[in-house]
Parts: sequence; C-alpha cells; structure tokens
Amino acid sequence: MVAGFIVAVVFVLPYLIMLLTSLKGRYDTLAVPPTYLPKAWYPQNYITMWTATQTPLLDNMIATLVISVGATMLMFVVCIPAAYYTARFRFPGRGVFMFLVIVTQMLQPTLLATGLFQQFRLLGLNDTWLAMILINAAFNLTFAIWIMHAFFASVPKEVNEAAELDGAGKWGILWWVNLRLVWPGIVTALIYTFVASANEFSASLVILTSATKQPLSVALSAFIGQYDTAWQYLFGVSIVAIVPSVILFVLIEKHLVGGLTAGSIK
Amino acid sequence: MAAITIDRVTKIYPNGFEAVHELDLDVADGELMVLVGPSGCGKTTALRMVAGLEDASAGTLSIGGRIVNDVSPKDRDIAMVFQNYALYSHMTVAKNIGFALKLRRLPKSEINRKVAEAAEILGLTEWLDRKPAQLSGGQRQRVAMGRAIVREPSVFLMDEPLSNLDAKLRVRMRAEVARIQRRLGVTTLYVTHDQVEAMTMGDRVAVMRAGVLQQCDSPQVLYDHPSNVFVAGFMGSPAMNLFEARLGEGAVSAVVGTQRLALPESLLASRPGLRAYANRTVVLGVRPEELAVAGEEATTVPAAAALEGDVDLIEALGSELLVHFTTDARSVIGEDAMEPDAKDLSAGSLAGAGEGVARVKLRSKLVTGQRVRFLVDPAALRFFDPASGQAIVR
Repeated sequence: MVAGFIVAVVFVLPYLIMLLTSLKGRYDTLAVPPTYLPKAWYPQNYITMWTATQTPLLDNMIATLVISVGATMLMFVVCIPAAYYTARFRFPGRGVFMFLVIVTQMLQPTLLATGLFQQFRLLGLNDTWLAMILINAAFNLTFAIWIMHAFFASVPKEVNEAAELDGAGKWGILWWVNLRLVWPGIVTALIYTFVASANEFSASLVILTSATKQPLSVALSAFIGQYDTAWQYLFGVSIVAIVPSVILFVLIEKHLVGGLTAGSIK
Repeated sequence: MAAITIDRVTKIYPNGFEAVHELDLDVADGELMVLVGPSGCGKTTALRMVAGLEDASAGTLSIGGRIVNDVSPKDRDIAMVFQNYALYSHMTVAKNIGFALKLRRLPKSEINRKVAEAAEILGLTEWLDRKPAQLSGGQRQRVAMGRAIVREPSVFLMDEPLSNLDAKLRVRMRAEVARIQRRLGVTTLYVTHDQVEAMTMGDRVAVMRAGVLQQCDSPQVLYDHPSNVFVAGFMGSPAMNLFEARLGEGAVSAVVGTQRLALPESLLASRPGLRAYANRTVVLGVRPEELAVAGEEATTVPAAAALEGDVDLIEALGSELLVHFTTDARSVIGEDAMEPDAKDLSAGSLAGAGEGVARVKLRSKLVTGQRVRFLVDPAALRFFDPASGQAIVR
C-alpha cells in the first residue's frame, strides 16, 4: 500500500505543480529558489486566459472537442467492421491486410505533416476541422483495430453459432452479441483515441492555421514567447485541456481494466 | 417434429482430411439417437453438418423430408445445445432463453409466457434475472436447454452437453435430459464420447470410428451383439475382455493361451460361421460380468468352460468388485484393432499381456496374487475375425 501511494504521488505531483503554478503571479512562477505554494494566490488567471485576444480559448476548446469526438466516432465506424470481419472470417489477403494495418503504426504525424498538408490543399480541406478528424481517425485506427480484433477473436465461436441458429444474421450477431461482449475493448479504444486526438499537436499545427480553429494543444504554444513564457496561463490552459479526458475516464474507467492487456500479443 | 435422414454424407476438409466417410443414418421422428465414439471419430462433424454449421462435401441431409444441404442453419428449424453452453454472458437467463423469440419479433407478452413455461420445465424460474456467471454448471446447462426448448424446433441437436459437468451432476442431468426429450417428443441427435450416456439415454446408438459408422442399433443389441471388435471393446464399462484364441478341430473348443474352453453344440448351432474358423486364430470376447468365480457363485456352467488367471488388482466399487487378472493368453485392445496398417489382430504391437477384468460380488474372498478360476457360459462368448474384426455370426 505504501508503494502504491508513492507511485500515485509520483504520477500526480506534476499535475499538482501545474495547478499550483497556474494560481501564481507572473514573477512567482520564476522565483529562485522555486516555491511550491504561491506566495500570493491569483485565481483570476483563469479568467484572464479566456479573455486574451491572441488565444481565443473558448474556440480552441470547442475545436478540441469537435475534433476529438469526430475522430473517435469516425474511427469506430471504420474499426468495428474491420476488426470484426478479420477476427471472425477467413478471406484471401487477410494476412496482408493485417500487415498493412500494422505498418501504419510506424508512421508518425510529424513525418507525414507536409504530405498531408499538400493532400488536403488539393482537396480544399486545409484549415478545416474535417481534415483533422480524418487524420486523427486514421492514425488511431491501427491501435483500435488490433485491440478490437483481439476482443472479437476472444468471443467463442460457439456463441456466434448459437446466435446464428437463433436466427441472427451477420450484422445481428455483431450488434446483439459481439458488441456487448467486447465492451472493455471499445472503452479502451475510445479513451485512447479521444486522448490521442485531444493531444495531437504536429499535424494540427501544420493543417490548422487559423487561431480560432486550432485545438488547445496548439493554442498552448501561443503562451510561449520568444523571450518569455507565461507559465501561469500555460499551465492554466493545460489544466482546462485535460478536463474532458478526465471526465471521460471517470465515466467509463471501470470498463478499461479489461482492455488494458488486450492485444498484448500482436 | 421431423425425421432426419443422413444419406452417404461425407466431409473432407480443405487439407484433405476426411472427417466423415459416407455416413448413412436415419433418425426417426421423436427418436433420441446417440452418436458415440472416441475423440476425433467425426461425430461432432456429422452433427454440425446436420446443423448447417459445416457444409457436407458429398451426400444429402434431410430434415422432415426436405433436403437441407443448401439451407442456412437458422432456416432448418433446429435448435442446438453446445458443449460449453455458448450462453450470451451479457444477458440474463430470461433474455438468453427469449433471444430467438425476440429476433422473430414475437410480442413481448408471448415471449415472457414461453420463457416462463420453459423455465418451469427446467426448474429455472427463480434464476430468470441472474446472469450466466452467477449460475452453476448444471444451471447453465439447463439455460442452454431452455434456449433450445423455447423455440419449439423440429429437431434438437446436442453436442456433448454434459461433458463439462462433474460426474455426479452428469448422472442426474442425463436422466433429466432424457426425461425432457421424452416429454417433448422432439427428434434428437445427441453426440457424446461417453458410452454410459449412450447406453442409458439413446433409443438407438450409432457408434462411429475414424469417420465411419460401425454399428447402429438399440443399446442392448449393441451391448449383446457387437458387430465388430471395436464396438465390442468400446461399449461397456469395464470393456469386454478380448483374447486371442485358436479354435480346435471342428471348432468344438477354443484354446486361450494354454487353456482349453469347450464350445457346446448349441453354440455352434447358433453361430455356424464358427466352423469355418476351425484350426484358425480368432478373437474371443467375454464381458466382465459373465465371469463367475468358481466355488463362490452358484452357476450351472460346466467346469470345462473355465478360464484361469492370477489376480493383479482388486478395485472395490462399493456394490461390487472389479478383479483385474492376467492369463497366459494374449489380449487384444479393441480400440486399437482394425487399424488400416495392422496385418491382423495378433500382431505383436496390438497384443497385450493377457489382461482381463471380471465383475465379482462384494463378498468374494479373492486376494491379490491369488490364482483364480472363472467359469464362463460359452453362450456368452463372442467371436471376431482377426483380420477384419467383424463378428463371426453366420
């Protein structure tokens, strides 16, 4: 229990420091030696950061939510049939398909940002949320397909056969039986995709050039100046940025444990 | 209700393995037919072909007079109980049982009524709101049966439904399954590897081995008149004792090891085919319960029909004793017999050390190491051809 407490403190401490720094005055953040508790408390930082004209934080917050939710939903629409079919059925090219899915794991948004910029420029989608929804859905698809593939494969084939004999068609077996049984996998993929989309920076920086369309991950960089960094606002925005992910996690975390070890063998 | 007709059905997998070879089987309307055999004999494959979960490579399958080879499983009007129950673990017992009715879009009141009826038959009424994880193995098995019953199908297919239960529960449940089947009168094809289940439950039993049907008959006929040495060794627990024997001149005697058993004229009259095996080697079979300890049990069997051996091991079952003994004869292992590679059953690799088992009354005074003399009624002896393994009858 003591060890667990120590580990918990190690993980929570950075966030605690962020929270305390966000309530400090400007000079207090750079004090030498550093202080953990603010000498004077500045809760008004949380109001100031919303009204700073160079960072329309409300728009950035909405952008983050729209992109994250949109990418997550699109990812599920694609990943569920792909994972279900590759787990349950044998077809020519199945191995090649799974290999290609894995290969995309090797590609990072940072490497592809320039190419993506050109691609979306041709499509007329640059500086749109749709472009980032497509990018985030695509890049998180691999992990989601592998997780869901493992979960679908773990459903005993007799359960599917029983559903078939009971009168369910292929989609009925997926909807009534499999999706309910693979719920931990769905939760895992959901949290992973949402958090990864909310935190995505490099592709967002390149694709989204308008300040009002950028997500919070990019908007944060506005607080880092050439000579100075407004740490109190930076940390304040960071605290606000993680709130949606924390809320999501709290709501569905009890289903997450089952999904953590799934797909551990690729 | 419907009859099942399996007409020269064959199943060959893409890798060339023939799981079922030209199976011919008729299951009458309302009959409980048991498919029994060792693991890998093709019985489950045959069942799955009837269900439509596997395609037949050749032959025709009919249910209720309708050829169903190309009919999808859900349109065959069948219900299946799987070995591991295959329950929907996210649904309650009531929803598990009513799932098929929900897919048929029956009114909710109708679904509830039918589920309640099935639960009543199976003793599940108080468990309807539980989920499978909260049930015992026997209860889960009954939920699986309930799921099948509620659909009122023409045919029940059961794939070793009792295998996952402990021994005591298995005994109770097999009686319950048989009782339910008789009450509903639904044609049932029941697969098991347990020959005791086969004997106690089936109206008829079909014994399979390596994809081939060996014999299909009522349990008692299978037991008393096995058609070949495999069936003889498979049915019955303990298995039939099988020894290498040599028939004498005119087949009036059988020499087992160095011991001579006299074969009366009445036996030769009922089995005239034995005369053709005079001065030849045969396989001689005798059931454990046909061996009476000389001097301990009242019998009219003449002393000339005696088999001697040394007691190896005595197993007390509570109601009787199983006496393991060795003779100077060579024993034959029924399940290994009839291998395609074996030249005949007396091949050294197939013969054991003359071991046998006898069922003896509890009050017997036999002890390990003792020389024992068993009297055996020659009419109870069975004879098999050593090359083909077939019973010598006519």
